[in-house]
Amino acid sequence: MRWATRVGIHVDRTACAWLILRFIDEEAEFVFVHDPDEVPEDAIAFDMRGAELSHHGDACTFETMLDRYRLKDEALHAIARIVHEADLEDERFDAPEARGLDVILRGLSLVAQSDEQMLELSGPIYDGLYEYQRRATMLGRGPG
Amino acid sequence: MTPPGDWVLLAYRLPREPSAPRLAVWRRLKRLGVAQLLDGLVALPLDSRNREQLEWIAEQVVEADGEASIWVASPAAIGDERELATKMQRSIAEQYQAVSEQARDADPSHRNRRTLARLRRELGRIERRDYFPPADRQAAREAVEALAATLDEEAVR
Repeated sequence: MRWATRVGIHVDRTACAWLILRFIDEEAEFVFVHDPDEVPEDAIAFDMRGAELSHHGDACTFETMLDRYRLKDEALHAIARIVHEADLEDERFDAPEARGLDVILRGLSLVAQSDEQMLELSGPIYDGLYEYQRRATMLGRGPG
Repeated sequence: MTPPGDWVLLAYRLPREPSAPRLAVWRRLKRLGVAQLLDGLVALPLDSRNREQLEWIAEQVVEADGEASIWVASPAAIGDERELATKMQRSIAEQYQAVSEQARDADPSHRNRRTLARLRRELGRIERRDYFPPADRQAAREAVEALAATLDEEAVR
């Protein structure tokens, strides 16, 4: 399946792309466009104005995706709270990790040569974040 | 003289009732520190974050049965931009001054750790919507860190 989003990906879009590859479509291919009109017909758009998989009310796209694909994994919901705060900074959740994640991804976008490379670099960060949250959920506290 | 810079504008209209979406949109705009040009027309200096944040608010307006559009524009006259920047800076300066005052007035007993944490958070929020930093910014940072230092001394004593 092809998936399309806006160029210049940051927290919400890198997190969504990771979620798609890990939990929704492991053969996903990504297309980056400048304008909603450039989305190929066979592609599913995400995190773009007018797309179904996007911000709704005060939810960011990652939260919308968990909802639409009925992903109940508690570790993913913990990541959703972090992504929400990094993206929207509205203090809806207590997620102090958000500031750090935002800074790391902003820094990565300065060294990445393309959105494709940005995906390669950010993927392992979300793998680690997921594993941490998964264990934290099991243990009821952060793994040492 | 540098020519006027680019700004991202959100033009929007929301139904009078219900009031909850109006309030939600207004809160989000306030948190971003937008300049209000007219009723239903707000502006921020153009960068990818500001543009994206305004796009999401536009989307929220549309979902609440309103109308919204996003524009990228630059003021035709430098004077207009200067006036806008000055207005934004003055509003932010007042917010920094409020933080400075609260930091100075805080009772330096160690129970005031919570006040310190609150002021640091508030300072962070103001800094995120500060596009034309006034001198009051440094003063507010210093006032908050001075409070932190007195709390540390109190703890040692």
